[in-house]
Amino acid sequence: MTKHTQKRIMDILTYAILIAGSVIMLGPFLWMVSTAFKLPADQFTRTLIPPTWTMQNFRELFAVDISFPKLFFNSAYIAILTTIGQLLTCAMAAFCFAVVRFKGRDFLFTLLLITLMIPGQVTLIPNFIIFKYVGLVGTSVPLWLPAFWGGAFGTFLLRQYFLTIPRDLVDAARVDGASLFQIFWKIYMPLSKPALAALAIFVFQGSWNELLQPLVYMPAVPNTTLTVGLAFFQQQLTQGGKFTVLMAGALISILPLVIVFFFAQKQFIEGIALSGVKR
Amino acid sequence: MQYGLKPLGREKISLWLMLTPTLIGLAFGVLGSIVATLLLSFTKWDLLTPPKWAGIINYIALFNDPKLSKALTNTFKFSLLYVPSVLVVSLLVAVLLNRKIRGITVFRTIYFLPAVTSAVATALVWNMIYGKDTGILNYIIELFGGQAVCWLCTDKVLTALIIVNVWGAIGEGMIIFLAGLTAIPKDYYEASMLDGANAFQQFLRISVPLVTPSIFFMTLIATINAFQAYDYIYMLTRRGQGDSSFPVVVYSIYRNAWTFFNYGGASAQAVELAILVVILMAVYFWMERRYVVYE
Amino acid sequence: MKRILFSVIIIAAILMTACGTTQPTQAVVPTTAQAASNAPVEISFSMWGAPEELAVWKQIVSDFEAANPNIKVNVEVSDWDSYWDKLKTQLAAGTPPDVFAMDAPLFLDYQSRGVLANLQPYLDKNPDMLKDVYPQTLEAYQTPDGYYGLPRDFQTIVLFYNKDMFDKAGLAYPTADWTWDDVRAASKKLTLDTNGDGKIDQYGFVFDQWDMEPGWSEALWSYGGDIISSDHTKTLVGETKAREAWQMLYNMVFVDKSSPDNNTISQYGGDLFQAGVAAMMPMGHWAVPGYNTAGFKYDAAPMPKGPAGPATSVNSAGFVIAKDSKNPDAAFEFVKYALSPAGQTRLAELGFAIPVLKSIAESPAFLEQKGSTLNQKVFLDSLAFSHMKPVFKGYDEWASVVGDGMGAVWRGEADLNKTLDEIVPQADAVLEKNK
Repeated sequence: MTKHTQKRIMDILTYAILIAGSVIMLGPFLWMVSTAFKLPADQFTRTLIPPTWTMQNFRELFAVDISFPKLFFNSAYIAILTTIGQLLTCAMAAFCFAVVRFKGRDFLFTLLLITLMIPGQVTLIPNFIIFKYVGLVGTSVPLWLPAFWGGAFGTFLLRQYFLTIPRDLVDAARVDGASLFQIFWKIYMPLSKPALAALAIFVFQGSWNELLQPLVYMPAVPNTTLTVGLAFFQQQLTQGGKFTVLMAGALISILPLVIVFFFAQKQFIEGIALSGVKR
Repeated sequence: MQYGLKPLGREKISLWLMLTPTLIGLAFGVLGSIVATLLLSFTKWDLLTPPKWAGIINYIALFNDPKLSKALTNTFKFSLLYVPSVLVVSLLVAVLLNRKIRGITVFRTIYFLPAVTSAVATALVWNMIYGKDTGILNYIIELFGGQAVCWLCTDKVLTALIIVNVWGAIGEGMIIFLAGLTAIPKDYYEASMLDGANAFQQFLRISVPLVTPSIFFMTLIATINAFQAYDYIYMLTRRGQGDSSFPVVVYSIYRNAWTFFNYGGASAQAVELAILVVILMAVYFWMERRYVVYE
Repeated sequence: MKRILFSVIIIAAILMTACGTTQPTQAVVPTTAQAASNAPVEISFSMWGAPEELAVWKQIVSDFEAANPNIKVNVEVSDWDSYWDKLKTQLAAGTPPDVFAMDAPLFLDYQSRGVLANLQPYLDKNPDMLKDVYPQTLEAYQTPDGYYGLPRDFQTIVLFYNKDMFDKAGLAYPTADWTWDDVRAASKKLTLDTNGDGKIDQYGFVFDQWDMEPGWSEALWSYGGDIISSDHTKTLVGETKAREAWQMLYNMVFVDKSSPDNNTISQYGGDLFQAGVAAMMPMGHWAVPGYNTAGFKYDAAPMPKGPAGPATSVNSAGFVIAKDSKNPDAAFEFVKYALSPAGQTRLAELGFAIPVLKSIAESPAFLEQKGSTLNQKVFLDSLAFSHMKPVFKGYDEWASVVGDGMGAVWRGEADLNKTLDEIVPQADAVLEKNK
């Protein structure tokens, strides 16, 4: 078998598997879109194309006076701030944990990982009490300020990636007289675009989809985030079995994330192309 | 692990400056989460009146709580299936997407989409899909001549939940593995092809070993996610006011803290959960030392 | 360059947040001296409800503020789950809303923990305030040293029926004389496969298989059984007469198959009556606004009689004032307004619940609601044979023991009598814990 044929076969196999998988990955979304545009009477029809297309579900959503634009804006700026905070602080910490030798490194890192293991529902109240004492309850600050204090997930992710960057680059830079920070900023950061883009996506999405935190810290609708606003609807709609409107709401909530991902993806590709060339 | 740059002289300041935000976060995190949870686990607290010291009564209750035992069993069963599934499937997808094929951007978006969306939103669709009389999945199965299944009934619910959770997590694993795979220099592959290696051998001898840092990461993260899995499970098994037909530990923690006026007991359960994960983590770190390859 | 860009973004973001959150908050209520000064006082009011209720409460608030220019009320409405999560967090941190909504069964859980203000002093100053209120709705909030809460509106459970389905099957509508046997018989005739695909898609009767209020508590009472002893120490759902009621319901689900099991119900969301899948369902008035948009003709009859006569459940949503409220006087003024004829009339127009003031409930404001041909009077008449939904400490945990346990029965996975044998001691343990 020639190399060429082997590649063709592998390619065909690859496409086959990927396409089959895509159907499963996309299926639920197609169903979501389809249901969102169906008439309520049709909500259980088993066809992908709505028998009758309608916009009434979206109209019903927007008819209730909870100012979607404001909710969107709140969710957006909180998510952006959170992402910036995490990218900066986790990268710095990850560099220290991955590249620098210092006393207590492993202990601190383990401690960091342990914070990942306590579920958020339990830490909510101690944190709330602390924020109450500094008078930050009723604002969005408790949602994004902690992002500027590092994070176990982001630090861990970037540390793993930093560990794969070859030491000789560092040694060469040292010979050239580079300082610790310069090595971090000039070598590690540019080479880690894929990991940074990945982290950015995860953090943004995590912040956007948060429910419990904005619920307790921020004022009521409409001065809160989109997820809280939608939760307000969902209960009523689920009780009433109004799946078409529920799907419309779900669509609205995921659309911004999809758009963000599209743009972040470009960075991602750029990053991968660059890192492929780095040697 | 043989890595480490020694900071020179005044660089120590840079080092600690760079670490300061994380150290603040740790202080907050250790205080806010670990210490507070530990302390509270020794109290009886109903949220409305001040906490009362209660010794180890909550820990004793851990062994007498039938609901908790059920939740623990469910969590274990779930994690056992979830972690390997996520690792295998997302690694496979990442490897496939790492090849030079057309339409890679489109595929990447498609596979990542579920991970980007909120579990609350997509769980609603899955509920519709899994409906035993009204769901599209059974419709398709019957179309192909199969037998309709009650996916969310007790006998099949674990399978249904694994499918949904893995579906939602493939994107995350795929991104991590892709980032790791692209770090492997192309010359390694080319050199091995000159030596006559085929694709599978390349995968086993080059890709897998060099992607072990990512595998380690994903295993740990997937395990933590499995033990803390809650959103999808709850949305799909919700019955009555806050009841679930497939309770897991986080669900039990939530209920005790927020519904049963038993914050102390919930904290004790959280500690138990954390200890279980820490034990696994220790195992993983041991395996890291033996199997993970860093360049 | 990159660093400058970063700094600009961060500064811009911080500026945006400063602009984005200059809303009055609940944690920062200005504490002014109360009756003495005329400075405006701000109070906060939180409740659970539907988005539509927010609009009407805003109206009530503006009416109130017009009559009381020195009091400003901030209303916050959330869905059920979010409401209790947020409330408990606020109580834990000592910053509760001034006035908040209370679900009667949960009243003792909060009152016994000392977070509610005693309203008796205010009531003593306003002796006529409760004269016209239905006494059945006040029961839940009474304690030995006075009222710690007041009902806002109430619910009784009635049997809703889908007129279109009954017409199609040629059956007579339910009446006040119907017994459970009549319901069973009709239900069998109304369970059909309407589109010929081999699957039952219409059921004669459905009831809530977890919450006692819309269904099983009424059944148990109508058979002469009870839920819990009056001193709240013994669970009675496993007693003989109660078991007869359970067995009747069980037979409808698993023998007649005219009522869907738990797995079937969950695929429709929650309310199978609204979804147009069930012909009869016990339900309260809170579902009416939703039913009015459901697209079929419906009406309601009293709950069917059991061997011990008719029985239904009465429950209420109430107002409570936080003990830590900095403006309890203003808070009480608001409560007083909501319980006045003016406030109650507005509430009646809302359509979600029944006003607690007799004069308003029996007036056209409630009895004739636009867009509905529903026989509203049946809710009031049902008061004559209503039992109060039990109120006791540890209600949520107790209810979850019973609800979760029975869940297995309704999924067809557990034997009815064995399950009752198991859950009664577990439920009693919860009661013991909460003595």
